[in-house]
Amino acid sequence: MATVTAAAPRTVVPGFLKRPGARKLLALALFAAILVPLADAHWASGTWPGALTVDVSEPLTKVSDWIIDNRDSHPLFLYFFGHISNAVVLCVRAVYLVLLAAGWAGVTAAASLVAWRVAGWRLAAGTGVAFLACGLLGMWVPTMQTLALMVVAVLASVVVGALLGLAAGLSDRMDRILRPVLDTMQVLPAFAYLLPVVLVFGIGVPAAVLATVVYAAPPMARLTALGLRGADKEVLEAVESLGTTARQRLLTARIPLARKELLLGLNQTIMMALSMAVIASVIGAGGLGDRVYQALASVDVGAALAAGIPIVLLAVVLDRVTGAAGEKLGEEPQPNNRTLWLYALGGTVAVAVAGRLAGRLDWPDAWTVNFAEPVNRGVDWMTDHLYSGVPVVGGTADWAGHFTTWVLDPLRDGLQWLPWWSVLLIVATLAWLIGTWRTALTAVLAMAAIGVLGVWKPSLDTLSQVLAAVAVTLVLGFATGIAAARSDRVERLLRPVLDVFQTMPQFVYLIPVVALFGVGRAPAAAAAVVYALPAVVRITTQGLRQVDPAALESSRSLGATPFQQLRQVQLPLARPALLLAVNQGVVLVLAVVIIGGLVGGGALGYDVVAGLARGDLATGLVAGAAIVCLGLMLDRVTQPTERRTKKGA
Amino acid sequence: MSTTTSTATPETRKPPTENPVFSVENLWKVFGPKAHTVPADPDLAALDPAGLRERTGCTAAVRDVSFDVRKGEVFVVMGLSGSGKSTLVRCLTRLIEPTAGTIAIDGEDVRAMDKTRLRELRRHRAAMVFQHFGLLPHRTVLDNVAYGLEIQGVGKAERRERAAEVVAKVGLEGMEHRRPGQLSGGQRQRVGLARALAVDPEVLLFDEPFSALDPLIRRDMQEEVVRLHHEEGRTMVFITHDLSEALKLGDRIALMRDGAVVQLGTPEEIVGSPADDYVREFVRDVPREQVLTVRTAMRTASADEAGSGPALAPEATVSEAIEAVARSGAPARVMENGRCLGVVDHERLIGVVAGTERPVAAGTEQAKEVV
Repeated sequence: MATVTAAAPRTVVPGFLKRPGARKLLALALFAAILVPLADAHWASGTWPGALTVDVSEPLTKVSDWIIDNRDSHPLFLYFFGHISNAVVLCVRAVYLVLLAAGWAGVTAAASLVAWRVAGWRLAAGTGVAFLACGLLGMWVPTMQTLALMVVAVLASVVVGALLGLAAGLSDRMDRILRPVLDTMQVLPAFAYLLPVVLVFGIGVPAAVLATVVYAAPPMARLTALGLRGADKEVLEAVESLGTTARQRLLTARIPLARKELLLGLNQTIMMALSMAVIASVIGAGGLGDRVYQALASVDVGAALAAGIPIVLLAVVLDRVTGAAGEKLGEEPQPNNRTLWLYALGGTVAVAVAGRLAGRLDWPDAWTVNFAEPVNRGVDWMTDHLYSGVPVVGGTADWAGHFTTWVLDPLRDGLQWLPWWSVLLIVATLAWLIGTWRTALTAVLAMAAIGVLGVWKPSLDTLSQVLAAVAVTLVLGFATGIAAARSDRVERLLRPVLDVFQTMPQFVYLIPVVALFGVGRAPAAAAAVVYALPAVVRITTQGLRQVDPAALESSRSLGATPFQQLRQVQLPLARPALLLAVNQGVVLVLAVVIIGGLVGGGALGYDVVAGLARGDLATGLVAGAAIVCLGLMLDRVTQPTERRTKKGA
Repeated sequence: MSTTTSTATPETRKPPTENPVFSVENLWKVFGPKAHTVPADPDLAALDPAGLRERTGCTAAVRDVSFDVRKGEVFVVMGLSGSGKSTLVRCLTRLIEPTAGTIAIDGEDVRAMDKTRLRELRRHRAAMVFQHFGLLPHRTVLDNVAYGLEIQGVGKAERRERAAEVVAKVGLEGMEHRRPGQLSGGQRQRVGLARALAVDPEVLLFDEPFSALDPLIRRDMQEEVVRLHHEEGRTMVFITHDLSEALKLGDRIALMRDGAVVQLGTPEEIVGSPADDYVREFVRDVPREQVLTVRTAMRTASADEAGSGPALAPEATVSEAIEAVARSGAPARVMENGRCLGVVDHERLIGVVAGTERPVAAGTEQAKEVV
């Protein structure tokens, strides 16, 4: 149909307009030619014009003051939020006490035995070692605090997510409502979720748990809905043909058929909950994240690493065990499964009781290794020898300095120098060329909202860091991805590295960059690059490897060189994957650049942290809103058009 | 019996059948906006598929189809993909809701059934076997077969026992505890078949059950169905796009094209006297001597022929007659109850094989709506 309608004007329009991109550009140019002189005449200035901003900080301060004043008296808080808050505190406390009562031996035994039943001997051993390592590093109590918070948050996220997913999976209307919301939540940086929760619940464990739930529930909901909707149609029909009731269908067919997605959802929810539980130390989560946060604040890399390593170990263990549970689904269950579970339970109880009788509930102090000091000595050595003045290559601090002065500064100044309307125009052009007019409109509105909120300058500062980090990420990521796609050996070498890197919480990446580059904007960008790189490499590699082998073979049979194959066959055919890689890269980089506010990244991330630290919620909330807008804008600008693929199907 | 209550116009009335299992009258299934207006409006109903889509945006998957399924027979619905045969069989138990027409099972109006009654129908009276098996991947073979009984609320021990019997019947002993993922395609379809059999339904509905299987396995499975039908005499409605499968299994065949039944008759009638050029084209490559019987190929015997020559039953195929005639060198007699109905000689038999002679088939049950 589309080709028929397009064919008619083709004879009239000049040749270059045949391309849809050119037509879009022409339309935008016309649009701009009318609006820009108007806008420029009215509000001529480089930055966002003051006349177009709305001061929201004053009403926000009032709201926040009102909430603080009424938190203990207003019925809404007394009878609703208060109960939620109390319930959360109670649950976390209860889990924490259970973990402490089980003692370190009991907890380690329980974790290992669960891993044994779910994932086999090797992971069980790994789990045990990981937990013991947490104790050895002197981090047993913070680890248990984080674990307690995680358990409660994950349970709540799974319940909330599964219910939402059930609704979206069974009702088309709910799906239409929920899907865009969940999609958007997925691309927003974790930091954006902190402030609204703090506004209602104040700083503390309830706020941390709820922020974690809000952040971690969407993947569960999405995957539940996906699993329920993706069930084999013929199986459902067969089940219906046997005369099942709707409830029987749900319980005996739809949910079991979605088990893979449900477990994947659980896995993702756990990983995101861990990531957020660590970040939520900023709003009073305590535990490991808090240790990292405090250590980073005083640039104590050793202490940060001592708390960071348990986080990484927890992440890897949780990811592997839940992942292995998903892989085992297809297999036949062992005949004596239940007995073995009973053994596991018995073993746990025995170890816990033994620990209790031996009076060794707390991790013995004598068994801790002082980890921070040698690390700090190493860092000091690095500071002395590698920071600057290394012949030929220069030092790490020099690199950071050069990156700041030659890349970040000019980019920031350039962006801030650009007239505000031209920024909007660039956003519109990019978004429309890559996506549809709808995504372009959302992107422009989000960008304009930033201006209206009055945080144009810091947002452009953040944007400049994002752009610089994304550029580095894409260059490195595409190069590595192409290399991995072309050579099996490179891919084999990369895979375990990528696996570990992709499971680590965002927060952890800040530790090594602070050790290497000190504080500032360059380390924030570096952490963002390291965080986003694995996803970009992985998507690129997969995209290139999934290129139709027949197309590749035919080009080879025509005598194309490897470079010609790459340029003329693989890259064009992998275009959707590459665009997805860009999109993911941008979203992930933004998340960490914002967190970089903790290590001197400045701009919006700093505003959030500072707002929290000073109790100035208005500033923080405005910055949080700007982060949301920025995330929305960046995601929409890089969102490839979906229409084409839908039509093809 | 249902024909007496139906509002069939004279030209769509079909010859009444003694106690049909399924009785379908003027059935329509139209997909698209305002689908129900199409069957109701004679102008729209008369349009061809392209015209209908242009006028209304609708597609008629099943157009004004009527037939009876007799007790104990294998009724084959045959047509190319997109001819509406799968939609038709789903309409029988309202897995797809028909747009217009009547369906009766044992005289009971299916379209008037409420949810509970319909569920009863699906649970006890009609079970279906699917092209891609539709097995539950997380259950063992035994639990898959017992699934229908589980739905009905049969206790665990009893349903497992009954399932085990059926599993043995379809030749899957020893595989009770495998998962569908560990079985071959043919074995999976045996599970599908067993699941349908386990609920002991009155009718088995097959939706292209063997299309996804290899040719050799397909032949095995066809023979399995023939065997089951011989043993149990269960009524079957069998959907297929494979003509040889239809001829092999079907007691009667309804040939569909663009949603309508073009011809309905025994395999012999369809091959021997195609209703139109479409059917003729369809059956052109069928080895006629294997389908046509001597009853249709014979001529009246002269007095001396009636006394001698090899004797054949009227149901014997022409290829069997060729063998007998070639061996004896004389025309063969077609004998029924000791009476000579006629004879087949070289000339008649070669005429059948060459397709030059069109034997007039007696009582072809022409489809009412010939497109």
